[in-house]
Amino acid sequence: MDTQQQLQQAFSDALGLPPEKVTDGLTYNTIPEWDSTAHMVLIAELENVFDVMLDTDDIIDMSSVAQAKLILQKYDVSFA
Amino acid sequence: MSASLNTVLQSASVLITGASGGIGQAIVAACIERGATVFAGGRNEEALGAMQETFGKALRPLVYDVTDEHAVKDTFRQLQRQVSDGLAPPLFGLVNNAGVMLESPLSVTSMDKLKQQLNINFLAPYQHMQLASRLMSRLRRGSIVNIVSQVSEQGSKGMSAYAASKAALTGATKSLAKELAPVGIRVNAVAPGFIDTPLTEHYENEARQKVLQRTVLQRAGTAREVADAVLYLLSEQAGYTTGHVLPVDGHFCP
Ligand SMILES: NC(=O)c1ccc[n+]([C@@H]2O[C@H](COP(=O)([O-])OP(=O)(O)OC[C@H]3O[C@@H](n4cnc5c(N)ncnc54)[C@H](OP(=O)(O)O)[C@@H]3O)[C@@H](O)[C@H]2O)c1
Repeated sequence: MDTQQQLQQAFSDALGLPPEKVTDGLTYNTIPEWDSTAHMVLIAELENVFDVMLDTDDIIDMSSVAQAKLILQKYDVSFA
Repeated sequence: MSASLNTVLQSASVLITGASGGIGQAIVAACIERGATVFAGGRNEEALGAMQETFGKALRPLVYDVTDEHAVKDTFRQLQRQVSDGLAPPLFGLVNNAGVMLESPLSVTSMDKLKQQLNINFLAPYQHMQLASRLMSRLRRGSIVNIVSQVSEQGSKGMSAYAASKAALTGATKSLAKELAPVGIRVNAVAPGFIDTPLTEHYENEARQKVLQRTVLQRAGTAREVADAVLYLLSEQAGYTTGHVLPVDGHFCP
C-alpha cells in the first residue's frame, strides 16, 4: 500500500466511509461522519499509520484531506 | 469478580506525574504491584533512579518539568517510541499527580504566584490529557485520574489560588469525561483531604490538630489510601464510573 492509499484507508477507517468517498475535497464538519469525535479518532489513526506525533496547531489546521497531506509532508511523509 | 477485571493493568502502561513525591510514590508502587508498567515523571533524577533500582524494568523514569510545554511533548514522543519499540505496553492510564500548594491570602498573592499555581496544577495536567488521550484513542481505551483536593471542592481560607487551580482541573475532569467517552476513555478525579506527605509536613502541631478536628475520622490519611482510590479508578473495576470526584478525606468538614 502506498502512502496515498494508507491515507485513504486511515480516513475511511476513522470516519467509517468507503475509501472511494475519501477525496482531497472532503472537509471537516461538512458531513455527519466527520465531527469532533471522529476528528480525534482520525488524528489517532493518522499518527498510528504514519508513526508521527502531530502538533496541536497542525491538528487544528487539518480541516480537509488535501490539508492533511500538506501537514503530513512536514513530518516527512511524501505523497508521490 | 472476573479475572479480566484484575488483569487490565498487566498489559498496560500508566504515566504518573510527580512520581517521586509522597502520594506519587504510593501510586507507582500500587500500579506496579498490579502488574502495570509505570512511566514515572518527575524532576528529581536521583529520586527516580532510586525508584528504578527498587522496581527494575517495570519503572521507566521520565525526567522533565510538567510546566515546560516542549519538554512535555518530547516526553510523550519518548514514551511512544518505547511503546513502538516493544519496550513497554501501550499507554492505558494517566495520573496527573504533580502539584504544588500555595498558602497565601488574597491580598498578598502576586499574579506570578497565581500563574504558577495554574501552570502546575491545571495547564500542565490539561496538556498531559490532550497528548495522552491521543495515544489512548488509538486503542479506544484508557483511564485518566486527576488528583484534585478537598480544598478545591470545599474552599479554604488563605488558599484561593490553589483551590481555584484544582477546581479548574475538576471542571476539566467532568467535561472531558463526556468528551472522551465516545473514544473509550474514562476521566475521574481523586480529592484527598489531609494526607501525611512532604506537602503537609510543614504543618505545626497546632495547625495539624485544627485540621484533624474537622476530620470525622480524626486522623490524617496515608499516601497508600489515596493510591488505592487511584488504582480503583484506573482499573476496570471502575469500568462504569466516569466524571466522578472521589474524596479520600476521612470526611473533612471545613
Ligand atoms: N498531601 C495532601 O494533603 C494533599 C491533599 C490534597 C491534594 N494533594 C495533591 O496531591 C498531589 C501530590 O501531592 P503530595 O502530597 O504527594 O506532595 P509532594 O510530596 O510535595 O509531591 C508533589 C510532586 O509534584 C512534583 N512537582 C511539582 N512541581 C512540578 C513540576 N513543575 N514538574 C514536575 N513535577 C513537579 C514534585 O516533584 P519535585 O520532587 O521535582 O518537586 C513532587 O514529586 C498534588 O497534586 C497535591 O496538590 C495533596
